[in-house]
Amino acid sequence: MINVRKVALVFSKDWIEIQRNYQVLLPLLVIPLIFAVMLPLMVIGSTASVPAYASSEGLQTLLRTLPSHVVSEIAGMTGRQAIIYVISVYLFAPIFLTVPIMASSVIASDSFAGEKERRTIEALLATPLSDGEMLLGKMLVSLVPAVLVTVGAFLIYSTLVDHFTLEMFGGGLLFPNVTWMMLIFILSPAIAFADITLTVLISARAKGVKEAQQISALLLVPLIGMVLGQLSGVILLDPSLIIVIATALMAIDAVMFAASVKTFGRDHMLARLT
Amino acid sequence: MLACVLSPTGGSARVCGFDVNEEPAKVRQRVGMLTENSSLYERLTAFENLDFFAKAYGVSNKSERTLRIRQVLDFFELWDRRGDKVGCFSKGMKQKLALARALIHKPTVLLLDEPTAGLDPKSAKEVRDTITRLSRNEGCTILLCTHHLEDAESLCSNAVIMNKGKSIAYGTPESLRTKTGGPPILEIVLKKKDSRVTESIRRLLPNEAVMEDGPKMLVSIDDESTTPEIVRCIVQAGGLVLSVRVLKPSLEETYLRLIKQADEE
Repeated sequence: MINVRKVALVFSKDWIEIQRNYQVLLPLLVIPLIFAVMLPLMVIGSTASVPAYASSEGLQTLLRTLPSHVVSEIAGMTGRQAIIYVISVYLFAPIFLTVPIMASSVIASDSFAGEKERRTIEALLATPLSDGEMLLGKMLVSLVPAVLVTVGAFLIYSTLVDHFTLEMFGGGLLFPNVTWMMLIFILSPAIAFADITLTVLISARAKGVKEAQQISALLLVPLIGMVLGQLSGVILLDPSLIIVIATALMAIDAVMFAASVKTFGRDHMLARLT
Repeated sequence: MLACVLSPTGGSARVCGFDVNEEPAKVRQRVGMLTENSSLYERLTAFENLDFFAKAYGVSNKSERTLRIRQVLDFFELWDRRGDKVGCFSKGMKQKLALARALIHKPTVLLLDEPTAGLDPKSAKEVRDTITRLSRNEGCTILLCTHHLEDAESLCSNAVIMNKGKSIAYGTPESLRTKTGGPPILEIVLKKKDSRVTESIRRLLPNEAVMEDGPKMLVSIDDESTTPEIVRCIVQAGGLVLSVRVLKPSLEETYLRLIKQADEE
């Protein structure tokens, strides 16, 4: 039986620790800065020299690789408008998923492997808190800030893109849109949770925070595949694909959560302390 | 295992009447544990550390919790440092705070694993003195696991000597020393060597060994109560006594002897 107050207790203790740990706080501030501020500014700045009309041969070749419904969305746009629209609405979508992965990985590895590394886990495991209460508290303290950072980064990103493109698109807003709302509020939490469960599994074996972070970064590999797929026109993150990926991820989450519960047992966590 | 942090691979144990396999949560509730490492959250303050553990052990009433934190921090003379982050504490202070954490829920049994390990002599003495005060004031059973046999000798009322996971001797430190270290020896230092004195002691204790080493004499005795009689005998024989000391094997010597015996068997 899991006591919600005890879960909240573990959550609040870890939350205070995170707020005072610059090694965790700094990446949480820098990651959104890179993805939400620097990338859109670079795209908008670098497209200033794109021809006014989508007539150049190179541009036409690039646009031809896009799925037909995207081509129809950009029909009638100028070259610069088309490039900014495609990059900021479609190409950046999978890249943006790096934010919840990196944020959750930084916090979860500190919360799980960090307790082992600093050997504070021994006293924690000696308390009457159940394995489930500790695990859930620690998972939530990794998930909630990761989701908040992702939402915050999205708000900054969409505001910036809208601000710089408002006049260019004749007052029309690029954000928010359905694809990105689903990406931020459905896919991001699912992918962050997958990363957290992976970190729990790794932390049981890893000796320290850095090792746990390095291994959990493996989750970025399928993401890179998705970005390449978007670039080559093989896949496109639209609402229907997001639902498929999110459903598959939730199933994986459930399996990995069950494995995490098993792994987070007192014997497992303490037996591997070296 | 007794703190229910690790499950036993075999056998069973009961702590405060509860089986460690069947009711681990009840055992954890009644046990306070000090690990070899202080296991404190260094980014939290002393007060925050104790507040977290008090809540984890079920001290849910805020005023009761605050009062208990004040009691233990006062006891360990750390109340004035309650707002400081543990990361800036000395090793001795951390060890005292870890002891305070182990006591926060008024445990019935306190398990201390190497409480003075890695401490400088001053801090180690402070921790030893604190443990002595604890056993008097808190009224809980203290199980101390240590390789520092002087700690066991000065702090424990009963001791178990373990070798390769098995108990090889149990008793008070005094009885262990007597049982395995042989009878005590009386060391007498005279102002100058005198054969009349040696002869008179041999007459008094014909069955005991008497050895001479210059003005120093070593006399094997059954128990310390014969000491005044021996001194009177020396004085009557014209000897001038500079010092008299009862030599007993230390617990460390006893330990080494027992381990050697067990290994030979």
